[in-house]
Amino acid sequence: MNNLIEVKNLTKNYHTKEGEIEALKDINLNIQKGDIISLVGPSGCGKSTLLSLIADLDKDVFCGSVIKNDNLKIAYMLQSDALLPWLTIYENAILGLKIQNKLTKEYLDYVEYLLEFYNLKDFKDKYPKSLSGGMKQRVALIRTLALKPDLLLLDEPFSALDQQSRLLISDDVYKILKKENKTVILVTHSIEEAITFSNKVIVLSKRPAVIKSIIEINIKNNETIYERRKDINYHKYFDSIWKDLDTNES
Amino acid sequence: MSLEQKNYLKKIRLEKIKITLSQLLIIILFLLLWEFLVNLEIISAFIYSSPSRIINTIIELISNNNFFIHIYTTLKEVIISFILGISLGFIIATILYEFKLLAKIIDPFLTMLNSLPKVALGPLIIIIFGANTKSIIIMALLINLIVSIITIYNGFQNTDEYRLKLFKTMKATKIQTLLYLVIPSSYQTIISSFKLCIAQTLIGVIMGEFLVSKQGIGYLIVYGKQVFNLNLVMTGIILLAIISYILYKLIVMLEKKLLKHI
Ligand SMILES: Nc1ncnc2c1ncn2[C@@H]1O[C@H](COP(=O)(O)OP(=O)(O)OP(=O)(O)O)[C@@H](O)[C@H]1O
Ligand SMILES: [Mg+2]
Repeated sequence: MNNLIEVKNLTKNYHTKEGEIEALKDINLNIQKGDIISLVGPSGCGKSTLLSLIADLDKDVFCGSVIKNDNLKIAYMLQSDALLPWLTIYENAILGLKIQNKLTKEYLDYVEYLLEFYNLKDFKDKYPKSLSGGMKQRVALIRTLALKPDLLLLDEPFSALDQQSRLLISDDVYKILKKENKTVILVTHSIEEAITFSNKVIVLSKRPAVIKSIIEINIKNNETIYERRKDINYHKYFDSIWKDLDTNES
Repeated sequence: MSLEQKNYLKKIRLEKIKITLSQLLIIILFLLLWEFLVNLEIISAFIYSSPSRIINTIIELISNNNFFIHIYTTLKEVIISFILGISLGFIIATILYEFKLLAKIIDPFLTMLNSLPKVALGPLIIIIFGANTKSIIIMALLINLIVSIITIYNGFQNTDEYRLKLFKTMKATKIQTLLYLVIPSSYQTIISSFKLCIAQTLIGVIMGEFLVSKQGIGYLIVYGKQVFNLNLVMTGIILLAIISYILYKLIVMLEKKLLKHI
């Protein structure tokens, strides 16, 4: 078994004054090294909850277990870029390194490389307010990648962007994820994004989320998102995901 | 630069000049009107004094070597109380932010203290601490501290949720979150609290000087009232207005410097 992470019988309830909210119900999931997994499901079904549990962010009780190596490095990227406006682009990019005391040459060189890759080198000393939405999201991505994580959790990372920036940035992201053979869990509302990014799409039901189906995506041509979208099986995948999502509504 | 841009900038500059000129005009007209009404004996010179009488009073004060002592005394008290107020306010707000339970427990007491007219405590303070500068500073602190605590604490609480989550995902410690996120994102509120605090401090210091009555602008006003020298009272009021304006402007300048990128 070369599972990076094993999620076993995971059940999570939130407790609020108004009552109990069942968010996850008996989730079982194996993530292997190099997997790019997409999570799709109706809004509010518990996708972010699942990511928080995997990333160890939730200190409250839950049932079941997330089995992983203790020194597995997990990095998390949110829907909002959450850049700090009082820091320059460069300072924002190395924020995670600063917090985790990793300002070594190796990591900083990697940040330089990433800035170069995303064409942000000229903006290093600028402040976030002078950047477009897509560029800010790239900086947020660099801040996440800079930590050289073994597992990358992306929670609707592109959903705040307009369609055009979204296509451009997902292309960039896909390239770098493939190039560095990253393991990724991507939460998305876009079926298209789910298919073009991943080798596995997990469809969750509405709350409390159970796994509705796991769809393996086998696309041979792996170079770019653009080519993946042209695959002959694309529509077949689309239909089956749509069907599984759709039955939830009724 | 295009012609349109030039015109636009010109328009802005022109508007600024217009505003400043109008403000100057209002002050000059006000002073002139005041002077004339008094000279024509439409209003009483004894009660309302007049600009020329105020200038004479200032000159007199300066020649008696009294002028700068009073200003210095009041300024010193204001600055000490202000600095104490904002630093204690900041420290207490930080403690409350880190210990949410404590914040919830003392919340009603803060509210109560906040709405209590602190001047009522004046006589008590003087009995406890004596009729001296210490009492004045404590009076001012009582007034400015609660406001500083509440404003800064609210600023901390308004830290962006996404950014807090980001720090959580990066496994930041509490101290790191405070230093790198919570405090910097509250710069704006902290500066606003400075503005509130300076106004409150002035109220407290003058109130203290009214009660203690030894030196300072508050003392000038009380003394003037006692000897029925209303020129002195008016002079005190005008000096106060000028000082509070200058202090406020200093904070605005600091604000511009600190908040350049936000
Ligand atoms: N801290 C919390 N306390 C109480 N309820 C919560 C908490 N976090 C989430 N929930 C509830 O749990 C459910 C699942 O939330 P979650 O954020 O995981 O959904 P999601 O699938 O990520 O939704 P979206 O698509 O809108 O991002 C929602 O109904 C939400 O209201
Ligand atoms: Mg979510």
